[in-house]
Amino acid sequence: MSTAVSSPNRVNATQSPKSATEAEAIRLAQAGDAASFEHLYQLHSRRVYALCLRMVGNPPDAEDLMQEAFLQLFRKIGTFRGESAFSTWLHRMTVNVVLMRLRKKTLPAASLEETTEPDEETGGPRKDIGAPDLRLSGAVDRVNLERSIEKLPPGYRTVFVLHDVQGFEHNEIAGIMGCSVGNSKSQLHKARTRLRELLQEDLRDQARTERHAAKTQAGLGD
Amino acid sequence: MQCKDVELVLEHEGLEPLPEEARAHLAECRECRNYIADLTSLVDAAKKLPAEITPPDRVWIALRAQLEEEGIIKVPAEVLPVEQSSWWQSINAFFSNRVLATAMVGILIAAAAVFQIRSDRTAPVVSPDRVAGTGTSIPAAKTAGAELAELSVPQTSGEFDRTARDLSEQEPVATGMIVASRSPIDASLRDNLKKVNEFIAECERHLKEQPQDELTREYLSAAYQQKAELLSAMIERGRSIN
Repeated sequence: MSTAVSSPNRVNATQSPKSATEAEAIRLAQAGDAASFEHLYQLHSRRVYALCLRMVGNPPDAEDLMQEAFLQLFRKIGTFRGESAFSTWLHRMTVNVVLMRLRKKTLPAASLEETTEPDEETGGPRKDIGAPDLRLSGAVDRVNLERSIEKLPPGYRTVFVLHDVQGFEHNEIAGIMGCSVGNSKSQLHKARTRLRELLQEDLRDQARTERHAAKTQAGLGD
Repeated sequence: MQCKDVELVLEHEGLEPLPEEARAHLAECRECRNYIADLTSLVDAAKKLPAEITPPDRVWIALRAQLEEEGIIKVPAEVLPVEQSSWWQSINAFFSNRVLATAMVGILIAAAAVFQIRSDRTAPVVSPDRVAGTGTSIPAAKTAGAELAELSVPQTSGEFDRTARDLSEQEPVATGMIVASRSPIDASLRDNLKKVNEFIAECERHLKEQPQDELTREYLSAAYQQKAELLSAMIERGRSIN
């Protein structure tokens, strides 16, 4: 399956210069105008698809979820009164659809959150003494990061992707997730901390594999 | 400030800007410095990930079909001339469905192929005299009839037969690959395939009644093209799912 990846876009969709045309498109879509539905879809589908893809990790599911999210949105577009940004409204529906699917699908019935265990002695972060330094080792490449994001609990994953990848502010995320700004900040920090741990685990696994390969190679050389 | 206080600051305020007390702690605590450096690296790397990814066109096609089916998108009714025959109206109605209209690009290609087939057929008509002159034992009148039959009954010609046979062989394979899927996209693909099959049957029926109808032949060719695209999409979806 081919999907084109655009360059990173840190512009907040709600502050897009296309806001005026978006408002007009919403008004026309409320009257059932086909072209306006397509316009709204084209405006937002790339961000919504990116979010779905990162949340579920595979294109067929991401396509289904995005379609479901837009379907729900367009079914209710007549009720949109503009109290919140259209983008926030759409992302809230998307997140709901995705989390609902993940709740049904996740076999271990994992919580959407996951407690990051604090260090027992200091009460501070688990620092994994002797663990590799990600900054110095350059371990945070795109592939490793994408893989680790997939391993995050869904709630952490949502906040991390919305804030650190898609550029939403905490007040917007609070609107999307239906939580407080403080909760959004806290979830984001825990997500980052958990990601660090996952990347460190990856590094340890890689180092172990390399040591094993080196030993095998040395054994063959003897 | 201690390590746990730094953790609280990060949880409540994020990475930037760190308050003076936290910065003072970092100056003395290597572990916290590394911890924050790691988190900063993470955030920097995340900002470089693409925030937008273009979805495949089929998502909008399926979504649009669903919106039309539910009456959310209002499709303006087409005004058709009264004198149009029923089969022509059904073709118009069929193509007014935007789901299939998007595949009209394929029709242009297919139509070109049909014109090519037609020109190939009309060119090599061999005169009975010439066949007799070659010494062949086939009666001239029979040969001419066979040629005429080939020209006048295109739905049994090799091109259409072979295409229809190939597609029929592929159809159970392709539909089988998404048979268990409840995805709206796969449901839409199945629904479209059903419509295309109905349209093909209608074209074939019409060609039996009016074998000389070139327009129907073109529609049939285009329908085969659409069917091939739908089967291909099903196979692609099936591979992704499985």
